[in-house]
Amino acid sequence: MAFTRKEFLKLAGGTTAGAAILAACRPNVREFLVQSPSRLPEDLVNGIDNWYATSCAQCGSGCGVVVRVIEGRAKKIEGNPLHPLSGGKLCVRGQAGVQALYHPDRVRRPMKATGARGSGNFAETTWDEALAAVTPKLNEMKGAAAGSLLIVTDSLNGGLGMVAKRFAKAMQATHATFEPMEESALKAAIKQTFDQELLPDFDLGRSNFILSFGSDFLGGWISQVRHSRGYGEFRQGARKRGTLVQVDSRFSPTAASADEWLYVKPGAEGKLALSMAYVIIKSGLGDAVAARALTGGRGAAALEAYAPEKVAEATGVEAKHIEEMAKSFAAPENQPAIAIGGGAAGAQTNGVFNLTAIYSLNHLVGNVNKPGGVIFNPPPPIGDGTAAADRIAYAAGTSTSLGEWKKIVDSMKQGKVKAALIRNADVVHGLPASLGFAEALANVPTVVSFSSFLDDTTYWADWVLPSSLPLEDWADVPMNPGPGYEAVTFQQPVVRPFRDTRGFGDLLLTLAQELKLEKDLPWANMRDVLRQQAQKLHQLRRGSVTGATFEEFWGKLLQQGGWWDTNARVLPVTFVNGLTLTNPEPEFAGDAARYPYTLLPFQTVGIGDGRLAHLPWLQATPDPITTATWETWVEVNSKMAKDLDLREGDIVRIESPAGAIDAMVYPNPAASPDVLAIPVGQGHKAYGRWAEERGANIYSILDPREEKQSGSLAWAATRVKMTKTGKWKRIPKMEGSVVPIDFSNKVKVTNKDS
Amino acid sequence: MAIERKPEPKWVMVVDADRCSGCQACVVACQAENNVPLNTDAIFNQKRAHEWIRIERYWVSGDPDKRPDEVDFKNLKVKFLPLMCQQCENAPCEPVCPVYATYHNDQGLNVQVYNRCIGTRYCANNCNYNVRFFNFWEPVWPETLRNQLNPDVTVRSRGIMEKCTFCVQRIRRGDRLVKRENRDFKDGDVTPACVQSCPTGALAFGNIKDEKSAVAKMAHDDRHYRLLEEQGTGPNVIYLKKVDLHAAEDKAHE
Repeated sequence: MAFTRKEFLKLAGGTTAGAAILAACRPNVREFLVQSPSRLPEDLVNGIDNWYATSCAQCGSGCGVVVRVIEGRAKKIEGNPLHPLSGGKLCVRGQAGVQALYHPDRVRRPMKATGARGSGNFAETTWDEALAAVTPKLNEMKGAAAGSLLIVTDSLNGGLGMVAKRFAKAMQATHATFEPMEESALKAAIKQTFDQELLPDFDLGRSNFILSFGSDFLGGWISQVRHSRGYGEFRQGARKRGTLVQVDSRFSPTAASADEWLYVKPGAEGKLALSMAYVIIKSGLGDAVAARALTGGRGAAALEAYAPEKVAEATGVEAKHIEEMAKSFAAPENQPAIAIGGGAAGAQTNGVFNLTAIYSLNHLVGNVNKPGGVIFNPPPPIGDGTAAADRIAYAAGTSTSLGEWKKIVDSMKQGKVKAALIRNADVVHGLPASLGFAEALANVPTVVSFSSFLDDTTYWADWVLPSSLPLEDWADVPMNPGPGYEAVTFQQPVVRPFRDTRGFGDLLLTLAQELKLEKDLPWANMRDVLRQQAQKLHQLRRGSVTGATFEEFWGKLLQQGGWWDTNARVLPVTFVNGLTLTNPEPEFAGDAARYPYTLLPFQTVGIGDGRLAHLPWLQATPDPITTATWETWVEVNSKMAKDLDLREGDIVRIESPAGAIDAMVYPNPAASPDVLAIPVGQGHKAYGRWAEERGANIYSILDPREEKQSGSLAWAATRVKMTKTGKWKRIPKMEGSVVPIDFSNKVKVTNKDS
Repeated sequence: MAIERKPEPKWVMVVDADRCSGCQACVVACQAENNVPLNTDAIFNQKRAHEWIRIERYWVSGDPDKRPDEVDFKNLKVKFLPLMCQQCENAPCEPVCPVYATYHNDQGLNVQVYNRCIGTRYCANNCNYNVRFFNFWEPVWPETLRNQLNPDVTVRSRGIMEKCTFCVQRIRRGDRLVKRENRDFKDGDVTPACVQSCPTGALAFGNIKDEKSAVAKMAHDDRHYRLLEEQGTGPNVIYLKKVDLHAAEDKAHE
């Protein structure tokens, strides 16, 4: 970077114009509503810090955050105290957003490939040259057969999703989204159980009993901050202390925090839930009307096959335990009670069966769309159109299932795809290796990546057009799931792009102008897209932000970091769908004799599904249970490890029908002997100095098996075997660094309320 | 004009272990605020990771007659405990420092003066809680990442001991604020980074001399205790015990 500090400050002054200041010095609620000057020289005064409200885009939840900016540099991210999801709080992943911004291995400016595809050799170039080279290629696609152009993005919603969708439509392109562990099965189950398109909010804070199946909601599942805030209230809030039961095949952080952890055999979560439903209906607890609706009027008889003693064997839970749990879940003194499910429970070939069975329990205790229960989310009043379906599509975004991905890979292999545009989607790393995405990508004549980091997929690109990071870019984020009422977070650029990057939305709109697609994409830039949506919010004259003029409204909207209306809720609904009892049996890749263990991939609280593996704070975040960091380990039951003569750090080969990886043994006293749990997210070939060539990629050995109804990847349906390699490596972990202080027996406390 | 001196506040943190889910948000929030050196895998392997606040994880046996490694895997529990400098009233680290680099200030903080420290490590040896961290090496950030460093906090160099300060830079900001507004501290004037981020609300911070403060009320909770208080260190961090529904079976302390 050749410019001097003085020049930089000048440039920085130009861009932060338009960003609205949240409050000076510290997030002081009193100052939130003070209109700030629209141009902000304050940013550049030595020693003065400003706080800007924006949206955290480290995961998909869309928490509102405030960013501390000093002299044009982002220093610290905190939760936005006004925001309905974050309420001033933030998780590890959100905190690390600043490290992405200043990551030393960020792509500095556009690049073109110089060596062979996949070699990772690039030469830096200019935007003019890169766009001049890419635009004609896209122009060729305009007249070509439908599907010649492939656009791959992360799961996008809001204005950016709309722009990408319209661009794809105008170009007759295939738009696919990619997330390694996406939740199509959960969405399908919510649709079946509640007839809701958007994910619901779980009102944990006002609940008295949480029954959670496989969903590690305290360890990063869906919306960690929202769930954790609710959990805190659930434990020691103003109400009586609640009881948490976690049904899980792995001893997750949520299981560790639970009052009761029930080990369930992988894939049997649905049977267990139905068995609980059977007990509840049979013993006359819960809502009789819902019970009739669920069972088609037959009552407990419809679920006779799931009586506790009949499923005890298949689920691994004793019949008396099932009965006890079901009765306490439905007991009047424990209401409102809530049942939630996800994670591994949905990532089986029978995932939708499992999840519908689990969520149906909510109907039985009559807590649907009631405080302390499952609260439905209305779509925010913005969208590409005004009809309810348009608003829902705007908020829900799109997700591409594994089944659809297989078709896309096929058409790439057949040479039907002539060009691919890829943004923030590391498909080479995240799709099961046996599908051969990397080879298929080699078959595509032109590959353009919009990633700001050289990830495994960007390595295969001909051109890299780096897009700005969220702290440098505009977006509107309709949260999915939202907080139970109409809400949308606004993301504004809080600092000038640190590198020579451009916003992805802005780039698509620029390309659209070059390609003469103004009819479908009439906007000059993303800011215009957002202002058009904000106009709709302004005209409503309700909610958290109002203003006499639009400019006043816009300023306040950005100061506050979004718009929400706590009164705009989904009206009570009485929809109860009958239970679907089809496809109850999970299927696994690999026969039990050859592959004795079920592989249970899981996301750690730090690097999650691997998209955050490039950030050193998150790599160094200890997994709460093992305290391990930086590596790929396999959790082996301690006693079994002793029997197999495996010590901590012994490197074992984990082999599935689809491939093999090496991982270090961590003997975990709470691991089931039938299951090998391995954290996902490592094993990148590229992705910067802190991620590359580190650990092993679990996705590569997953069998590409689909969930039967939704077509999503059944990532917990692969069986593996384990063999010793004779090698050993030290596990980098926190445990053992210091002498533990055993505190557990110092004072005696019982639960006063129970 | 005589300047009226207000009584100094006394800073106390309360940790509600029943709310803590071990999510590590406090750990990274602290590292982001306080320019804590990056913990690489090599640093972890040397057992020299700097975590001013860390989450201790304890295995707890579900069977009172057996140790955690003896029970069936289904019968295990875990307790999480966030642990940071306890800002002891009678701090074992203070008298052993030959150069007075660590001392007690009048707001009850155990303060580390970096430019006095000569790196004897006596204080860390004498600390009962293992919450002092020594810079065995010069901390290194890639040039671009230095843009994130907090200008309010000193970057400690090689040979210096460091530890949790209760985010003293934020306390100083609060000092100036109350002085400017000529009033007493109230809850929310000072919030350390860990407390601010904690999503479950397990951490609380405030002036315990102020009877209206949240920490003063929480300090009288039935579940309160202090770590290793029998050793007489007088910690200024108060813990509220995790509620165990099966506590009746827990005979060990009766």
